[in-house]
Amino acid sequence: MRLRRAIRVFLPSAWFLATVLLALSGCASYSDSFSVIENDMAAQKFGVALQAFEKQRYPKRDQVVYLLNKAMLERMSGDFAASNRTFEAVKASVDELYGVSIREQALSFAFNDATRSYTGETYEQVLVHLYTALNYLQLGDLIDARVEALQVDERLREIAQKIPESRYTEDALARYLTGMIYEEMGERSDAMISYRQAYEAYRRYREKYGVTVPNYLKQDLLRLSQQLGLSQEMRQYQKEFQIEHWMNAEELAQKGELVYILNDGLAPIKREQAANVVDPASGHIVRIALPYFETRFTPVSGARVAAGDVSAPAELAEDIGAIAVKDLEARIPVITARAVARAVLKAQMAKAARESARQQNQNNAGAAVAALAVEIAGLVTERADTRSWLTLPSRVYLARLPLPPGTYTVKVDLLGDYGQIVATQEYANITIHQGAKTYLSPHWIAPNVTTPRSPR
Amino acid sequence: MMGCSFRANSRLVLALAVSALTLSMAGCGTSVERMDTAEVKDLSGAWNDTDSRLVSEEMIQDVLSRDWLPEFTRTHKKKPAVIVGEVLNLSNEHVNVNTFTADMERALINSGKIQFVASKGERGEIREERKDQDINAAETTRKPMGQEIGADYMLKGTINTIIDTSGSSQVRYYQVDLTLISLADNVKTWIGQKKIKKFVKRGNLRY
Repeated sequence: MRLRRAIRVFLPSAWFLATVLLALSGCASYSDSFSVIENDMAAQKFGVALQAFEKQRYPKRDQVVYLLNKAMLERMSGDFAASNRTFEAVKASVDELYGVSIREQALSFAFNDATRSYTGETYEQVLVHLYTALNYLQLGDLIDARVEALQVDERLREIAQKIPESRYTEDALARYLTGMIYEEMGERSDAMISYRQAYEAYRRYREKYGVTVPNYLKQDLLRLSQQLGLSQEMRQYQKEFQIEHWMNAEELAQKGELVYILNDGLAPIKREQAANVVDPASGHIVRIALPYFETRFTPVSGARVAAGDVSAPAELAEDIGAIAVKDLEARIPVITARAVARAVLKAQMAKAARESARQQNQNNAGAAVAALAVEIAGLVTERADTRSWLTLPSRVYLARLPLPPGTYTVKVDLLGDYGQIVATQEYANITIHQGAKTYLSPHWIAPNVTTPRSPR
Repeated sequence: MMGCSFRANSRLVLALAVSALTLSMAGCGTSVERMDTAEVKDLSGAWNDTDSRLVSEEMIQDVLSRDWLPEFTRTHKKKPAVIVGEVLNLSNEHVNVNTFTADMERALINSGKIQFVASKGERGEIREERKDQDINAAETTRKPMGQEIGADYMLKGTINTIIDTSGSSQVRYYQVDLTLISLADNVKTWIGQKKIKKFVKRGNLRY
């Protein structure tokens, strides 16, 4: 009689507890919910992808990552102004999330890391400014692009204060773009500083991510150091780069320039890797879940850009995939430590529940069920944090074409590993103004970007 | 009974779970409160309406109190015609410069000492309209072309910022420079400057 009553009273409450814990932890991992949108993107149907994405519901803690992906989808579908409004919302949300939340720390310690508010990885926070600037440049708004250039500088300085240099603390492409913006504004000494910073960053990129200094940047350093009368610096660059001839500032001033930036593919996606281990001492299961990056396929390894009778190669300017992977690698020890600490806590909680059940009357099934519920809840809530800015490109390529002022049709061949043409794209009515830069920064995603998930 | 069959430890677990649940569900409704437009309310430390107002007020006072104005009226026997050129935003924020140039324009026109002519952007639309009148309006009401008042001065300017950050503290320094340039000879007749400095400290803890 007593047993039956105990079960009647207890079973629902135990299940309630388990359900609540499950709901809190967010059972499906974030990246899993993205596959539908991925398919639309692979079909280059960015508008459809955006519509599908906007329908998704998300908890408040995922607001930043939601907005990041939304802004990127908006820019992919060509709505640069909307994209910038969303990026501004991202910045505001990130600012709001400055500071440590004790509530979230406690939650993440009890359940998992995905219960914390997502504020973006450091590289994502910098790339927000890069893409906002690119949006403004596509809209022909140089002044507002310059505002973003200053924000890039501010953000990178903030990061450099907090994070050791061995990790991602400089963004070569962001610095390079900043330099181009300053130079177009006529602020040559600021441009020179940015080009130098970009050069330094690229030299570090070579070691870290295998990205070499683009030839375009070498030309810029030579041209600008010559124009500013920094003859010693110019000679040094000449020696380093082994370049004898370059287009000088006067020649360039007669022309306009097409800056082509190819956003290729999609950045790696975070997946969950979980280990269920039986604790030999107690005979109970301990679970640890960690995120890892899965690269997404792209057949492109370069591009050739042609306009009028000028043709130039697009060079690798940023390997976001490599940055993401290295950044996670550097953080994995901390993430693991947190997961282990959590596993210990959960095991303790389960043990406490079991023991209290044992101390009860042997026929009190209610306490036993509750103990089991605590243990199950501990296991199912252990999920890896797989949130990331999924719509970033995997790699960014850059080409610059000095052109006489006029209207052009720009033809781009996307090239594969052996120089074969993977895809061809044409942009009609691109106007080049004298002494100014016209930006073109499309996103291209391979049809077979989604690789079958490898079991791990 | 539930209470007595459940010992302290398990009760603690339940209490923890419930409190976590309540914590994660906190949320509040929207509330609106009307404010006086002159009231100072700084939220993020970024450029806001107060800064815009302070700048325009100080600039207007300055530009009207200087010698160039009576001098011009005396020698030319008319009010100077001024045009607003570009106020370049060289700061690190997307500042809306239109609010304080509009503020300034309004205050200067209302002072009765200065005439303002339509700026470059506005002129295009007016000319379109005149062109249209040429064809469609009655002779007596038609406004002829080529009768615009040429401006005597152009008001130009820049907004600059210097940001110094260390940890959660930040000093934000704004400098707004406005210059009145004579269109006849490029002479700078007036330079106005307003500096604003803010110390912003961000909280290390949040809810």
